[in-house]
Amino acid sequence: MTEHSFSDETLMAFADGELSPDEAAAVEQAMETDEALALKVAGFLESRLQSQKALKALLDEPVPDALSKSVQEMVDRQDAEAGDNVVAFPAKPQGTATGTPRWALPLAASVALVAGALGGFIAGQSGGDAPGDLKMADLSQPAITQALTTVASGKETSLGRNERFRAIATYKDESGALCREFEVDHADKSTVVAVACRIQKTWQVQFTVVAAQNSKGYAPASSHEALNAYLSAVGAGEPMSEETEQSALEALRK
Amino acid sequence: MADAFGQQLIALLPNLRRFAISLCKSRDVADDLVQIACEKALANQAQYQPGTRLDAWLFRILRNSWIDRIRRTQTEGVKVDVEDAHYLVGHDGLAATEARLMLNETAGHIANLPDEQREILILACVEELSYREVADILEVPIGTVMSRLARARKKIVAEMGIDGSAKRSEDEEGSAR
Repeated sequence: MTEHSFSDETLMAFADGELSPDEAAAVEQAMETDEALALKVAGFLESRLQSQKALKALLDEPVPDALSKSVQEMVDRQDAEAGDNVVAFPAKPQGTATGTPRWALPLAASVALVAGALGGFIAGQSGGDAPGDLKMADLSQPAITQALTTVASGKETSLGRNERFRAIATYKDESGALCREFEVDHADKSTVVAVACRIQKTWQVQFTVVAAQNSKGYAPASSHEALNAYLSAVGAGEPMSEETEQSALEALRK
Repeated sequence: MADAFGQQLIALLPNLRRFAISLCKSRDVADDLVQIACEKALANQAQYQPGTRLDAWLFRILRNSWIDRIRRTQTEGVKVDVEDAHYLVGHDGLAATEARLMLNETAGHIANLPDEQREILILACVEELSYREVADILEVPIGTVMSRLARARKKIVAEMGIDGSAKRSEDEEGSAR
């Protein structure tokens, strides 16, 4: 490189380690012969360092008692209620995926209910609705268990009574159990997002979320985050390819 | 269990408070804001995506709470306490050494940056979030983050007379109060 026309932003990104290796190499090379350029980069490094130093005192300033106490109380209160209606925070994020949604779902609606069988994901209705309203993916319905073993991901089928079943994805969990993510649209326009795993030759619901009633058609819910937390907590693998899924489901039917 | 989240939240209180002070320019308002943000964070913790930086998520909630608050109090006009231009300087006793004075001076320069530049400087340089993470917090394009950040830093370099090579000494730091 003989002409050095790097923008301030590029030089700053270099100083901050935000350039790609190729771009960084180009800047580095140019800096060897262009002192003005090197000086600019140094300025960006120095401004970062000085800002950190200057505001360090603020970080070291003790948090006022009233504030830390009040936050601690909120945390304690939440912990106490955790058994009722809170999705527990998974102890440690697992796996390599860093926050990118594992399953690309169209999302809307709000989460009304989170229920599940696995430790940490606890059933509970947030409002005071009648227990009869409790809505989960009901595996006592033969139509659902049948759909679980037959419907390919991305396809849907009718369950009768204006209910529809939609298979979303299939994967293996940490223990190697075959699991399927699926949705059931109820007649009242609510949608259940659920994960069921094949354990000892039966389907068992591991996780369900009911999307609010106002969900517009094909809209699983912002159950997304809860689902992702769940999937990473159980160490769910990547969704299976069509072929792998097909043979896995075939094996179940034998 | 659930308390892992709570414990992390509490551990981040000093960082939240620092960012809040830089937004509100007042310690009292900042503490109030941090409390509101923590309440929201606890209520919505299911929305936090494990594997992403919790502090980034919290900064976003904090900042949105601040914007809400400004919007609500807009009619009264936002009060900026002119006396408090050095709000970013830590309250850790009298600063006597030259090094300390210089740091306070930098804090003063940061305090004088336009709001939109200061918040980015703090998130990117002080809290060391990536440009992408800052862009997500502020809901602006990454290019906007970079141009504001570059402008803020050039200003600091100019005002400090930092030429990039000379480092001021801090040898005497802590020797006097």
